[in-house]
Amino acid sequence: MKAATCALGGGLGLVIAVPALRVCVAPTNAQTVTTPSDPIDVGAIERIKVGAPWQRLDVIAPLVKDAWTTAHDVALGSAWVRRPNEQKLEALSSVCPHLGCAVGFDGQTFLCPCHNSKWSDSGALVAAAGPAKRDLDPLPITVVDGRLRLTWVRYKLDTATREPA
Amino acid sequence: MKKRLTEWMAERTRALADRTSVGIPGGPSFAYVAGWVLVMLLGVEALTGTALSAFYAPSTASAWASVAYIQDQVPLGWLVRGLHYHGASALVIVCGAHLVQAAIFGAYKKPRELVWWLGLVLMLIVLGFAVSGYVLRWDQAGYWANHVEIGIATSAPGGTLLKGLALGGNDYGNLTLTRFNTLHVVVLPGVTALVVGAHVWISRLHNTTPRWGRDGLAAIRRWPQQTLLDVIAMAIVFAVLLGYVICQHGAGLSAPADPAAAFDARPLWYFRWLFELRHLAGSYERFAALAAPVVVGGLLVGLPFVDREPDRSPKKRLPYVGAVVGLFVLIGVLTLKSYAGDAGDAELAKREQAADMLASRARALAVKNGVPVTGGIDVFKTVPMYLPRAIFEQKCKSCHAADSKDRKGPIIAAGHGNRAWLKGFLQAPSGEPYWKHTRLAATEDAMAPVELPPADIDNLTELLYAQTGATDVDPVKRDAGVATFKKACTDCHSLEEGVAGGSGPGLADLGSRDYYTSFLSNPKKAVHMASKSEMPRFETDLTMTERDAVAGYLVWLRTASAADVAALGPL
Repeated sequence: MKAATCALGGGLGLVIAVPALRVCVAPTNAQTVTTPSDPIDVGAIERIKVGAPWQRLDVIAPLVKDAWTTAHDVALGSAWVRRPNEQKLEALSSVCPHLGCAVGFDGQTFLCPCHNSKWSDSGALVAAAGPAKRDLDPLPITVVDGRLRLTWVRYKLDTATREPA
Repeated sequence: MKKRLTEWMAERTRALADRTSVGIPGGPSFAYVAGWVLVMLLGVEALTGTALSAFYAPSTASAWASVAYIQDQVPLGWLVRGLHYHGASALVIVCGAHLVQAAIFGAYKKPRELVWWLGLVLMLIVLGFAVSGYVLRWDQAGYWANHVEIGIATSAPGGTLLKGLALGGNDYGNLTLTRFNTLHVVVLPGVTALVVGAHVWISRLHNTTPRWGRDGLAAIRRWPQQTLLDVIAMAIVFAVLLGYVICQHGAGLSAPADPAAAFDARPLWYFRWLFELRHLAGSYERFAALAAPVVVGGLLVGLPFVDREPDRSPKKRLPYVGAVVGLFVLIGVLTLKSYAGDAGDAELAKREQAADMLASRARALAVKNGVPVTGGIDVFKTVPMYLPRAIFEQKCKSCHAADSKDRKGPIIAAGHGNRAWLKGFLQAPSGEPYWKHTRLAATEDAMAPVELPPADIDNLTELLYAQTGATDVDPVKRDAGVATFKKACTDCHSLEEGVAGGSGPGLADLGSRDYYTSFLSNPKKAVHMASKSEMPRFETDLTMTERDAVAGYLVWLRTASAADVAALGPL
């Protein structure tokens, strides 16, 4: 009788707990925040002068779905963009590959304010300076009808190789 | 090893064991299960409530959206929400049964008065959970039910203060939700834990109240026989609850709270008796709503004072047992009467059906498009071309819809401005779909039907169609149309940009987006209809964005079929 009581009680507790736990873990592997995977318009090409230093552009998604909301014009982050010559266009994510702080540029080097990681003018890692393990992450950028179109990608943090998060 | 462990525990928990292992005189029975069933139900509420709180966002912009997300998008979210909502109903039922049973058993008699009163406090707390929880959904049902509840409270002495405290200021808003949320998930659970603790602790001091006449029998420990009965009862109650929740697919959720939309507010079922009483009381409704709970509460609180004889046999205490049972029968009758009244109201049924349809539309849109950050009601604005259609509904429909009784202008519907439409106009400008109902049609100023060979009409149609900016224009026909136009139309019309004709409107860009924006802004402009149009000017009434949106909608209609329009869905 003792065993039956314990079994029935335990079983009941389990049946009660399972749905609640299932709901709590539901978002774990779900895509709850959807940002555009298509290129995002970041402004006219004229904004970036040929030969000028890196310039920061805000990446603003036209539409973001976040769990229950749909929001327009949501800032996703920013990118450093330059045009070394007429034909070439470069973009680097301002997300530090160490722990994701926003990386700044002082005219010569990129610097992360959180842990002092440094990168050269080309985005190459200055390994001795700080804890970051790789170069700054390049972002795909193209020009369509005179507008800059940048694809926003987040990469795994604190790894030596570059893999999408 | 096991024995040593048991002894180790026993040594350290003896006092507790002494309290919890007291026996029941006369032995176990299903009559004593209510307490543990209530503990189980409170556990269900706590567990499901915790899970829900991991999703719920208490603000006017996000409350409904987050609840709809739990209900319609989180796996098993509907089940957890249903267990939470209907579990509260089960709590009220079992609490009521426990209370009536305690009254019949005379369990409130000396020395158990405190247990009885604490039980009444718990009943009140359960109702407090219901009131504070219902508004959190921020749907029409919860929002308006809360208005009624707060309205009643406000009419009590000191009510205005209470209202300000509950709503967090002068009106319903973000603070209303954050405050009711705090009450529901922090304050009341804390108080419940304390009161349940005291209720159980004191009741254990005095032991379970056995059935009357069994006081003298030998006490038998609860464990394991009574515990088994308790667990069986818990399992049965939970199984019934689970079955009901699955049948109902969780708890209901009406359309997002809309302060501007009427709604037939109904309280939760356990307040329906009070709702009915207010109806019956007529002009004394406020008094009835306040007095009834006081009378009921007073009767229950006062029982231990008036029924003081030690004998607990119900036969010897008929007036008291009768009063309590009678009270609950009365509450039951009033509840049934309230539902019966609604069931016989055909008009109400229609309104409720409309409300249900609105709710399913809002929820379907929330799943499909997400809810705008501006709030729940704006989910309706995520339907395609909401803005121009809403404006059309409000400003244009009465004069331009095919089914309008006071139509004054041409019908605006699918295909408006396409080739067939233009050709029909040329052949009969004052025909039914066109100017038939305008003041102009009855005057000599109205355009006469164009009488030309069919090929010329086709060419003219193509020329006008080309004005819309459509990309499928036949250039040969169009150019042929120019010659026809010069021959037959230039007395009254012009195709030059911004130039009015002799006596009729300029036709350059006719049916393009810019043309529509300009026409809407001021139909009485010389280049358009001059003084011949009865249509009002919308340049001040509608913003540029709104006029442009309507123009875009008109352009879309040109290529749309009736099925395309229907596929946009209702507004």
